[in-house]
Amino acid sequence: MVSIARKNLFQDLPRFIVAQAGIMFSVGLVTIQIGILNGFTRSSTVLIENADADIWVTSEELRHLALTLPLEYEQLAEAKEVEGVDRAEPLIAQSTVWRDKSNQIAPIRIIGFDPEDTLFRPRTLLEGTLKDIQQPYKIFVDQADLKLLDVSAVGDRAEIGSYEGEIKGITTGTRSIVASPYIFTSLPNATAYLNSPIAKPDETPPDPPDLTDQNRITYILVKAKSGENLSALKDRLEEALPGTKAFTQAELTELTQTYWQQSTGVGYILGLGAVVGIVVGTVVVGQILYSSVTDHLREFGTMKAMGSSDWYIYRVILEQALWMAVLGYLPGMGLCLGLGAWTIQAQAIQILISPVTAAGVFVVTVAMCSGAAIFAIQKVTRLDPALVFKS
Amino acid sequence: MQLAFRQRPQPMTLMTSNPDTAGDLATPAIQAKGIEMAFQVGDQQFKVLKGIDLEIKTGDVELLMGPSGSGKTTLLSILGGILTPTSGQVSLLGQSITGLPRHKLSKFRLQNIGFIFQGFNLFPALTAAENIEATLNLKGIRGRAAKKQSIKLLRQVGLADKTRSLPRDLSGGQKQRVAIARALAGNPKLILADEPTAALDSQRGHTIMELLRKLAKEEGCTVLMVTHDPRIMDIADRVVYVEDGLITPKPANPSFVHKPE
Repeated sequence: MVSIARKNLFQDLPRFIVAQAGIMFSVGLVTIQIGILNGFTRSSTVLIENADADIWVTSEELRHLALTLPLEYEQLAEAKEVEGVDRAEPLIAQSTVWRDKSNQIAPIRIIGFDPEDTLFRPRTLLEGTLKDIQQPYKIFVDQADLKLLDVSAVGDRAEIGSYEGEIKGITTGTRSIVASPYIFTSLPNATAYLNSPIAKPDETPPDPPDLTDQNRITYILVKAKSGENLSALKDRLEEALPGTKAFTQAELTELTQTYWQQSTGVGYILGLGAVVGIVVGTVVVGQILYSSVTDHLREFGTMKAMGSSDWYIYRVILEQALWMAVLGYLPGMGLCLGLGAWTIQAQAIQILISPVTAAGVFVVTVAMCSGAAIFAIQKVTRLDPALVFKS
Repeated sequence: MQLAFRQRPQPMTLMTSNPDTAGDLATPAIQAKGIEMAFQVGDQQFKVLKGIDLEIKTGDVELLMGPSGSGKTTLLSILGGILTPTSGQVSLLGQSITGLPRHKLSKFRLQNIGFIFQGFNLFPALTAAENIEATLNLKGIRGRAAKKQSIKLLRQVGLADKTRSLPRDLSGGQKQRVAIARALAGNPKLILADEPTAALDSQRGHTIMELLRKLAKEEGCTVLMVTHDPRIMDIADRVVYVEDGLITPKPANPSFVHKPE
């Protein structure tokens, strides 16, 4: 079957290129905005992704992953006693201050865990081993945060709280856009940093002691016994540990991501950007289709005079719109994937373009182009076929 | 009023080669009774057609002539089911089309009428063959059958070597041949043409109209065309004159007839 739509589209190449540029811009804007939003929300729960726990127990006053109140270390032992618990391990996640070699301070988040435990560990270690942070005042820093913290490599030093810390390892993929840089260390080191005096001590601080029942932790990570009903286990944990709330990993992820998307303006702003992209794309495609139909009005009139149904002509216009959608989407998405790869490399900011996002943007592009075709369709609907007899 | 002047002393003998497509000779191809057409412009009403009665025999090639503004094209549009008259009745191929809903009229045109336009109205982005194929596609003929038929039609109009040419690469005469081939696509029973030779020099116009006549007769088509061109009068079985919205006897010195160069 002769594709009048395709032939019409490619007949005027400069106009076609302008149209495709407009669609590419629109696809790019929508994808980047959604990708940034996805990357942003995912990064807010990057800590959770590094854990292999079924349940996270924390203060009942938790608002989101980074905003909660501490628990006492002795509650860990109580958690271990709860029926259905296979393993229970402590995790510290508290904010403090980093002071670099030029005496500049920066907020950081100390993540304390036991390197010999199994439920939490940084997924990818580029340098160093987990044993390294068992030594006093040794830390891991994420590769993406090195510049921000004014350090460059293993062996560099800075002050955490008022105690010195030495970088013994480099992690990757643990940077959160929403939180301060994560500094990974052992539980004793973390406790020592968080309880360090305001002023820097004159003497070398003592080796951090092991945690006692009165020390504070932030989370208890729980691995359930095989086949255990997680909902029932959560209830038992909350009952055994008064003042706490238990979340499955998925629940805590959703709660945190929803908080950052809805309770801050970020979701709205990035969503607005995506809507602007759709509007721009619709206007560009609509204008191009409209002028294309105007240019071919006599041919469409001829089709009508010959007896073509309106639907046949609508199909031609819609096919034209679909060609524009596909041919604008493919390079637009390619550009976004390239930009995303460059951004994560150069800026360590993730533009997360998942297959679902890519498919969703394709649907939006098709809808946008089809919607834009309505203007052109209206013009053809009003077209009087008698015009073909006017010279 | 129904008056006409036969240009040929004797009616042409029909050379119908396709009995399926040839109309029923006893039934007129076109029958119009009391056709009136008025257009409203602002507060004023202009009556373009003032009561036309016309009957065109199946298989005839007839010309519609008259001065500019006489209502020829309006009449052709009405007879083609493109315009609806203010009053009057039109029957095409034995079927009344007056009062048919728009979609049924479209379907009727698609199945029964081929059109040839003054400005050719070819799709500039489609090749000669594709222009015909697109018309066949509209009529439900697709794929290889459409391709084969379009090439056959182009061969019939002498453009076998131009199947892949775009309209911009064709001369005026060649474009009109493509337009004729397109009008013949799908074996319509009726061909309506509006000033088909206006964009051509008179000799080429005559040659092309001879070709149209030949093909139409072969296919058993009835042809009605609006023209100012006296050089093609000899191809017609009959010439109908329209003046001031009415069919009139042949004028003594018709000023609207363009003198041959």
